[in-house]
Formats: sequence, C-alpha cells, structure tokens
Amino acid sequence: MTLFRSTNFFFGLFFRFSIRHMAKFPGRALVVLLGISLGAAVFTSVRLSIHASLNSFNQSMEMITGIADRVVTRPGGRVPETLVGPLLKLPYVKSASPFLYTYVQPAMTGKSPFLLIGFDPILDRPFRKWQLQNSTLSDQGIWLDLMRFPYSIFAGQPLLDDLGIKPQDGLTLEHVGQSAGFIVLEALSSEGLALVEGGRVAITDIATFQEFTHIWGEVDRIDLLLDSTVSENQINQIHKMLPEGITLGMPNEDQLSGQRMISAYQLNLSVLSFVSLFVGMFLVYSLVALNAASRRKELAILRSTGASAKLIFFIFIAEGGFFGLVGWLIAIPISSVFAKYLLQGVGETISTLFVRVSVDNLTLSAWEIFVSLGMTMFISVLAAFQPAREAMKVFPKEAMDIGQPVATHRKSSRYLAITGVLFILMVWPLSSIPPPENFPFPGYLATFVLFLGFSMLSSWSLEMVAKITEPALLYLGKEPAWLAGRYVHSSGMRTAVSVGALITAVALFSALVIMVHSFRRTVELWANQTVAGDIFIRSKMADINRYKDPVSQNAMVFFNNLDEPVDIDIYRRLFLNYGKNLYQFEALKWDVYLRYGSFFWTEGNIKTGLQRLKNGEGVLVSEVFANRTGLGVGNLFQTSIRGTWFELPIIGVVRDYRTQGGVVYYSLEHYQDKTGDLNWGGVRVFFKDREKIPDEAVFQMRNRIIECCGDSVNVTLGTQLREAILKIFDETFAITTILLLIALVVAALGITSTLTVLVLERSRELNTILAVGGSYGQIRAMIFWEAFLMVLTGEFLGILCGIALSYLLVFVINKQSFGWTFLYGMDLKTLAVSYPLIIFTALAAAIPAIRMVFKQPPANLLRER
Amino acid sequence: MINFRNLILAVVGCLIFVVSGTLAPASENLLCVTGPCHLKFPEDHGPHPGFRTEWWYYTGNVSDKNGLKFGFQLTFFRSRIDNKSANTQKSSGQVSAWRAQQLILAHAAITEISEKKHHQSERMVRQAVDMAGAARKRDRTHVFLRNWSLDLMPEYHIIEADTGDFALELTLVPMKKPVSHGDQGYSRKGQKVESASCYYSFTRLKAQGNIRVGTKTFEVDGLAWMDHEFSTNPLEPDLEGWDWFSIQLDNHTELMAYFLRKKDGTYSDASSATFVTVSGDSVHLNRSDLDLKIMNTWKSKQSGANYPSQWRLRIPKLYLELDIEAVVNDQEMKTPETTGVTYWEGSVSIAGFLKGQTVSGMGYTELTGYVKPLNVPM
Repeated sequence: MTLFRSTNFFFGLFFRFSIRHMAKFPGRALVVLLGISLGAAVFTSVRLSIHASLNSFNQSMEMITGIADRVVTRPGGRVPETLVGPLLKLPYVKSASPFLYTYVQPAMTGKSPFLLIGFDPILDRPFRKWQLQNSTLSDQGIWLDLMRFPYSIFAGQPLLDDLGIKPQDGLTLEHVGQSAGFIVLEALSSEGLALVEGGRVAITDIATFQEFTHIWGEVDRIDLLLDSTVSENQINQIHKMLPEGITLGMPNEDQLSGQRMISAYQLNLSVLSFVSLFVGMFLVYSLVALNAASRRKELAILRSTGASAKLIFFIFIAEGGFFGLVGWLIAIPISSVFAKYLLQGVGETISTLFVRVSVDNLTLSAWEIFVSLGMTMFISVLAAFQPAREAMKVFPKEAMDIGQPVATHRKSSRYLAITGVLFILMVWPLSSIPPPENFPFPGYLATFVLFLGFSMLSSWSLEMVAKITEPALLYLGKEPAWLAGRYVHSSGMRTAVSVGALITAVALFSALVIMVHSFRRTVELWANQTVAGDIFIRSKMADINRYKDPVSQNAMVFFNNLDEPVDIDIYRRLFLNYGKNLYQFEALKWDVYLRYGSFFWTEGNIKTGLQRLKNGEGVLVSEVFANRTGLGVGNLFQTSIRGTWFELPIIGVVRDYRTQGGVVYYSLEHYQDKTGDLNWGGVRVFFKDREKIPDEAVFQMRNRIIECCGDSVNVTLGTQLREAILKIFDETFAITTILLLIALVVAALGITSTLTVLVLERSRELNTILAVGGSYGQIRAMIFWEAFLMVLTGEFLGILCGIALSYLLVFVINKQSFGWTFLYGMDLKTLAVSYPLIIFTALAAAIPAIRMVFKQPPANLLRER
Repeated sequence: MINFRNLILAVVGCLIFVVSGTLAPASENLLCVTGPCHLKFPEDHGPHPGFRTEWWYYTGNVSDKNGLKFGFQLTFFRSRIDNKSANTQKSSGQVSAWRAQQLILAHAAITEISEKKHHQSERMVRQAVDMAGAARKRDRTHVFLRNWSLDLMPEYHIIEADTGDFALELTLVPMKKPVSHGDQGYSRKGQKVESASCYYSFTRLKAQGNIRVGTKTFEVDGLAWMDHEFSTNPLEPDLEGWDWFSIQLDNHTELMAYFLRKKDGTYSDASSATFVTVSGDSVHLNRSDLDLKIMNTWKSKQSGANYPSQWRLRIPKLYLELDIEAVVNDQEMKTPETTGVTYWEGSVSIAGFLKGQTVSGMGYTELTGYVKPLNVPM
C-alpha cells in the first residue's frame, strides 16, 4: 500500500513537474522524440530484418536437419548408399535416413531455382515433420504415392503459387543437363519441411531424385537416430564400420557455421543501426540537461518544500525514460515502414554473401522487441543520468537566490579533454586484444572508446576553436561573429554534447566512406587480378548447389578437344568444413592460372612460393581462412577430403573476397593424383593473345560452348562476372549508406535542437542586445556564427575520429568479423564533396533556431522580470 | 492384415481369367488366387512377388525353467507397390537402386503372461539396398528387415528380432509337415472366386531359444505356429474384419479357424477351419460346421475398440467344444508407423472337450476390424 502511494505520488509529481513543463515547450520535446524514435526505428527494423533472415535460415536448417542425433557425411563428396543397410542393422540405430538435396530450375518459367529434397518417405518419417494439405501422414498410403508414382513431388504452397500451378498439374524441372516432367501430387501444409526456404521447396522419393539427377549409388548424407542409451563404445563401432573418408558428425554443423556468418553480419549491422540511437542519446541528454540547468530555481523550491535529492534524481531519470518509452512507441510505425524496405535487402545480402535465406515477411520476436525497447530505454535513461545527478545537487537555499544560476564548466572541460585523450590512447591496445570466436568485441569496444574520447574533447575543443579563431572571427564577421565566438567559448556542456553528436555522425560517415572505398577498390583489384578468366564455365546452378555437381562429361570432352588459341584452367571446387569453419577448397592448374591471374599476397614468399605451389608442396590460403582458423604461413593444413588425408604446409596467405568462408588453393594435378577425383568443378578459359582479345572471338567461343553443352553448364564472360561481383558489392553497401544517412539526419536534429535551446535560453539576452541597438541581422548572424563554430568543431573532430575509426573498421573490425582486410585508401573526391555538404546541412539545421529568436516581442520578454 | 488404403483402392478388382486350379493375372500385373494353389515345398515357402500381399507369421507360447510364461508374435509382411508411371527410365535408362516394387513390414510382440504385460514393435522399409528382402535360395527361405529375420529351412526355422526394448531369438523345429488350408491351399475369403488366398501352416513347431525383455534374458522353450499366406484381393465390401484362432491342444492336435465378420454382425459363409490330427492329416471344416459364441469382451482404453476376450467354440462334427480366453486382455497391436491398423493379437488359453475327453492348450488369436472396418487382402 505504501509502495503504491509513493509510486502514485512520484508519477503525480513527475507529471506536474516534468510533463507539464514539456507541454509548455512542445517543440523541444518533439525534436528529441523525433530523433530518438528515428534511432529506435532504425535499430528495431534492422534487428527485425536480420532476425527474420536468421529465423528463416534456422528454420530451414532445423527442418532439414530434423531430429537426427548424428549424420554420416563424406567431406568433398557423397556417401555410398550401401551404408544404409548395415547402419539400419545396428540394434542401437533406431533409424537411418538417406538424404539428398539440390536446387532445380523450373523449365521455361523464368522463375528462380527451388530446393528439391529426395529421401525415403518411410525411413525419413521419424526425422522430419511434414504433412499434406488434404490428408495427414496417418492416412496410410498417401505418402507412398511418392514411391508409387515415379517423378512425382509434394510441393510447398508458396512454390506452387509462384509457379502458378496446382496439385495434379505437370511441371518440367531442369538440373545439370537433365530435364524431366514431374507431377505435383499434393501441396504440403505449411509446417515442418514446408517451411524450408519460405515454402519454395518440394520433396520427392529418393529413387526419383537419383534418376533425375543421375546421382547413382550415393546420397548427400545419412541421418541417424540413435537409441537413447547408446554408449560411446557403440558410437565408436559406427565410426569403425564407416569406410575411409566417411565421417560421423553432429547434425547441425552446417547450421552453426551458417549462423556464425550471419551473426557477424547481424552484429555489424546492429552496431551500425545503433549509431542512430546513440546519436539520439545526445538529444535526450541535451534536453534533460537544459531542463535541469534552467529549472534550478524550481528544483531548489522543490527541495526546500521537502523533496529529497533522490526524488529529484529520479524525476530527471524518469524524464529520460519518458523520452525513451514514447520515442520507442513512435518508432513502432516508423519501424514497420523501414523494415519493409530493409527486409528484402537484408535477405538478399545474406543470401548473396553467406547462406541462402528466403524471407517473405517479418517474424515478430519477443526477444527482439525486448532488446529494442530495452536498448532505447537504456540509452535514454543513461543520457539523463548525468543531468539528473547535477539536478540532485541543487541546494534548497538556491530558492532564495536572485537571478538565473548558470553552471560553469571551464574546469570540467579540461578534465574531460584529458580523460578523452586517455580514452583515445586506449583505442589501439584495446583493438589488439584477440577476439573471442568471430565476435569482434575488442574492435567494437575500441570504437566505443574512440567515440567517447572524441566526444569528451568537444567541450575543450569548442573553447579552443573559439579562442583561436577570435581574431579571424572579428575580422570576418565583425561583432556578431566575435560575440558568437565568445558565447561558444563559454557555452558549456550542452553545446559540447551537441557537437559530440555531430562528431559521432561525421566520424561514422568518414570512416564508412573510407572503408567502403577501400573495400571496393580492393575488391575491384581482386576481381580483375584474381578472378581472372575470359570465359567461366561451371555446372548449372553450381553456386547455389555449392559445386556438388561436376561439369558434365560432354563438356569435358569438348574442352579436351578444343583446338583454339586459348588456355584452359580446370578447377575443382569443394565446400568443406575446417573445424567449425566453412571454406572452399579449390584445386586448380597453377601453371595455366598464374599465366593470366595473380593473388594479393599478405604473407609468404611469392618467389619461392609459386614454384612450391606448382609442385603441390603446399597450399595457398585466403586471409579469411587464415584468420578464422588461426593458421598462417608455415602451419599445416590438415584435413580429409574424399577419403584422402591432406597434410600440407601453408605457403602463403592471400586476399580473397569470396563470401561463404575462406579459400584454400591447391594444385589440381596433385589433388587428382591423391584422391583419384577427376571431376571438374569448372573451367576458366583464357585467350592466349592478351594484347587484343576481340569481343567477337569471346562471343564466338561462348556460343560454341553453349551449343555443345549449354544444357548442363552456365557460361559467363569474365567481364560480366567481374561486373556482377562489383554490383553485389554495391548492393550490399546500399543498406549501410541508408543507415548512415539516417544517423546524419538524427545528428542534424541534434544541431537544431541544441541551437534552438540555446536561443530560447538566451531570449532575454538576445532581445536586450536588440533593445540596446543591435539589429535583427546582427543577431541572426551571431546565431549563424555560433552554429558555424559548432559545426566546424564537430566536423573537424569528426574527421579525425573518422580516420581513426576507418583504420579500426578496415584492419580490426572487418578482420575480426569476416576475416578480411583491404588496401587502405581515402575517397578524397567523395569526402571533399561531402564535408561542405555536411556543414551546409548542419547550418541549415540552425535556421529554425534563428527564426525562434524573435518569436516573442522584446518588450514582453524584458517586462517579464 | 495390411491397410494400404491407396494401394487397395487403386485395384478395382482382378481381371479374372478363371483358369481352373491356377493363379490368374490381375490388373497392374498382379496375380489373383482363383483356385487350388497346389502348394509345393520348399518352393512355396519363398516369396510370391506377383501377389499384392504376403506374410510369414510366427506365434507361440513358451516358458522358462522357472515357469514364467511368454507369448510371442513375429510377422513379416511383403506388400507390393506398383509403379504407376512408365517414365522411371526416361532419361538415362539407368534405374535407382531405391526403385523398389516391394515393401517389407514386420510386427513383433511379446506378452509377459505372468506380469500381464504386452510389448510390441513394428518396422517397415522398401525392399532395396540390402535393408530388407524376401528370397528363397534352394531350400532356404530368408526374409529380413534390418536386423529382424526369419530363416526357413527344411529341418528348422530361425526367427530373430531385436527391438531394443525386447528381443527374441528362437529355433523352431517342425513336428508336423505343413498343412494346406481349404482346397489344396486355396482358402476362400468371400463369395467371389478371387476373394481368396493361398494359405498353409506349420501347426506345431517346437520352439527353443531366448527372449529378452528390457535387460532380462530368459531361456525358453514351448510351442510355435507358423502361417504363410499370400493373396491380392481385398476383403469384400460387406466384411469388416475377422476373428482368427490358432489352437494347439495337449493331445497333439491343432485347430485353425477364422470367422469373417460381416457388417451386419453375422459371420460370413466363407469362414472356415482346419483341424489337424495327431498324425498331421487335415480336416477341412466349413462355416456350417462351426459355432462360435462370445462369452466376454474387453474394451481398449487406447483405441476404444470393444474386443471379444472369451469365446466358446463348438464343432459338433468333431465332438469338439473349447473355451478360449485371452491370457492378458491388453494385447492390442497399434501400428501407426507401418500398416496403420490397430488390431488385437494375443496369446489365449484353451480348455474343453474332444470326443468326451478333456483337452487343454494354448493358442493365438487375431481380431481385426474392431476399430474400423478392414479393407485389405487376407
């Protein structure tokens, strides 16, 4: 009861003291709410969009993985189906289900490929859940139709809708050189397997799958369901019965490696989106601090009438909380608009870069909503913390003081500046701490400390800028500029906080511009040098099917008999796991490749290294592989591929921007000798005469390849492939750019808010100037110069902070998140255009403040006291 | 016993080529039973893949040295699934090893009579890639499904099943030659000539081996019964199920009787029985020779089915009157993962009179169609 009364009293007081005050100045509160809601909306929509992708991925993987306890696989290949029988005969194996999957193309529909799963519907029943729309699995026989009707499928309803067909309709499917007519027996009801890839999935009998894809005698994997009492000894017995190269592993390894990759992206985008919220925090601070400072007299009266310091503290904390809560509520509709746009972009980016996801709609996650609300409330309350502490220091006797008490910050600005420098000095050692597994915590901590350090410099820097520019100001802008300088010099913490927001936004802008430029430039160089080739040939849907299907026999014959002035680099690419990390193993013909292509070496001796690579004496690994596995030059690459044990020294580390894990390069001839695997993953065609490669010759060659084996292979021109790489890159960073712009908008709101507050706070002084002979123009000019000095200081510090941050992004955070670094380079052109634009925008943000100055007649204002 | 609804519904009926005393071709390349089967052994111990359904069915009652009694059942079914399209080899001519025409199913159960506990398990896979199979090689018939198997050889049969929860491993020695039911194995199951199966039994097998329940293994011996039956056609529409009895009396005679239940509650005229004398000769009995009265019932809490649990069987022609009673009421078999049929299959005890002499014995009873009408080949 007492608690209820005191809570009631607190909120009553909060309403009368704070809310009514806010209502008196709705403009200020609205700007803050707009800023915080924009920040919260960006944060929420980004989180929700990624969550939807992650959710889709996890759901797909979980449904595909089923409830298997172990999975039998063959790294780099498929598992012999003859293992199924012996495995099923083990008494502690409750069930074993052979599983195959591939993406197939609906013929002549122009629709994108979808996932076709092949299994034994009887053996698989304990593993994966699925139902048919018009019957249930308990209706015996319905599912047997998959066995009874060769070339029949059950399909997800979204797939049928997409293809515009219904149950009992026919459908022609294509897969690496094969094409066959299927019949859709029934639609899957939207549960279990039907949720995979957003329902763009179909299931068929294993026999049909094998006959259609020509995968004879093998399956992708065998899932095992073990007895609950299975012992280690029995697990070892399973290991022993598996032939060389066949492994018994946990079923969710692919899911975990996929999750790790998405998580890194999620974290990066979350941090980026958090910046808007972080910038919004400055807004909350600015207004709560103004309230705390400008209402000292009222606070003193409250204290003298019995309010405790603690009560005052919580009233201001509640103000922060109020902004957080209301801002978050306003953010909900804004988030839904943002999320609509982000959803597809984020989904496509994740599909292109990491793992295939299919996201159609947002899935509301209680956790994500909690994180969004919690984070918004936390930063709002945190922003109110310092002003609240200041407010609780007001003594009751101040109620008797005459005049407006003004806090001075001269000492604290120097103190803050020193602390800020110390923080900045901590950045490098912090960023050098080795990160926990793929989680760039040290990098982010260093970034936070960097922002904090530069923000702390803002107050002192404003003083310094004002002081240093004093003569220049007087010369350039006469009295208004000089007065503006004097004011900025002594304006204290609120101005500094606003400048802090600008520093954050400008720094982020600069750093991202530099990073994206460096990244793009490096990728462009990489694409031109390493992604070498005039024509690329690989099996149809090789990328999406992770090169599981080798190049067809007729294509091999075609290239073996090619009598043209071209060189052929054959390669074999396998998607494998090294520990927990997904990577691509590529065996290539070094002698051909190196004639036309090259690598960016970051470690290792190129001169001796290339010869050793040609001799098959070691492997070349990508920077991503090296950083993810912790292996470098001199270390041994040890793994089993297709039943052959490889133990090879790492000869060099090279830059590589292929997504979906790192890359390990090895000599094709030696790979073939060791494994006996003579399949081709793809072919690179190089025209021998590099001086003049006539377009016509390239096109002719392409047409010949298509004519010979176009049904089984994709033919891409080198120029097209490289363009596609850069297009993917640009699309990927489109989201980053949008988030960045929103952060800049919030920062501009900060400038507007701060200047407005400063103007309102000084209405009396400004009108006094007017009364003693100052002109409107002079006063407007003065406000303008104030804004200019703030923006100049903010931008200058922002650029410095941005350069430091760009180093962190390029060499620390990217390395810790994704495993790669780039050649550092500044995009001077963009920056040169952007900085004046930022100044202009920030100054434009001062206009509302300038217009505020003479809202009330000077006589009224002067009469008030 | 099998309910592959779709398989069955797809068969409108056999295209009858009534060739006296032969097996006639049906639709979908299936054979129908239309006359005497002229069963020959060991050939007919093996599978008959031309027919839709076939089963090898072992039941028995055994006990260990301490007198602990057990009933057991191990049945292997073969069910033909016909591919409904001709495009299996459309693109390459090669056929997947998984492309199968037969399913192999099995049900296993053990009744701990003293403990009144019933344990059951079921399995099903397609006959492919060495997961399951049914074949005869010379005089040995081997049927297996994963690690469950039966080996039928002239001197003895071996049955094995390990379900994890329980296991049985028994050697069964025939004490009489196989008995063909009906007209030389042609066992009528309805009014139509093709509503029939080929059916024979080993009515008395000496059983010896081990039974494991949980972690306890029991060395047991006793008597077993084996049925082998194959057919294509489903039950006729007016039938809803059957009550089947295998009875082994202590005077070394046996009786097999089945009563086809009509939907109106009466027994079909196609119901019949076979009495096997001490010497192994068989006496075929028609419906009119049989009188079955239900003396008690038991209602399953799980399925809601009301099963008979006690009967009085009278065969005046043989001066035989038997009281049959389930030794454990709950011996209901639930098979959602294989046939989907819920039926009662369990050990029964028998007491009565034959030609004025008291007789007793043990047996097995199968009751189908009590949950819902059964529409399967018998």
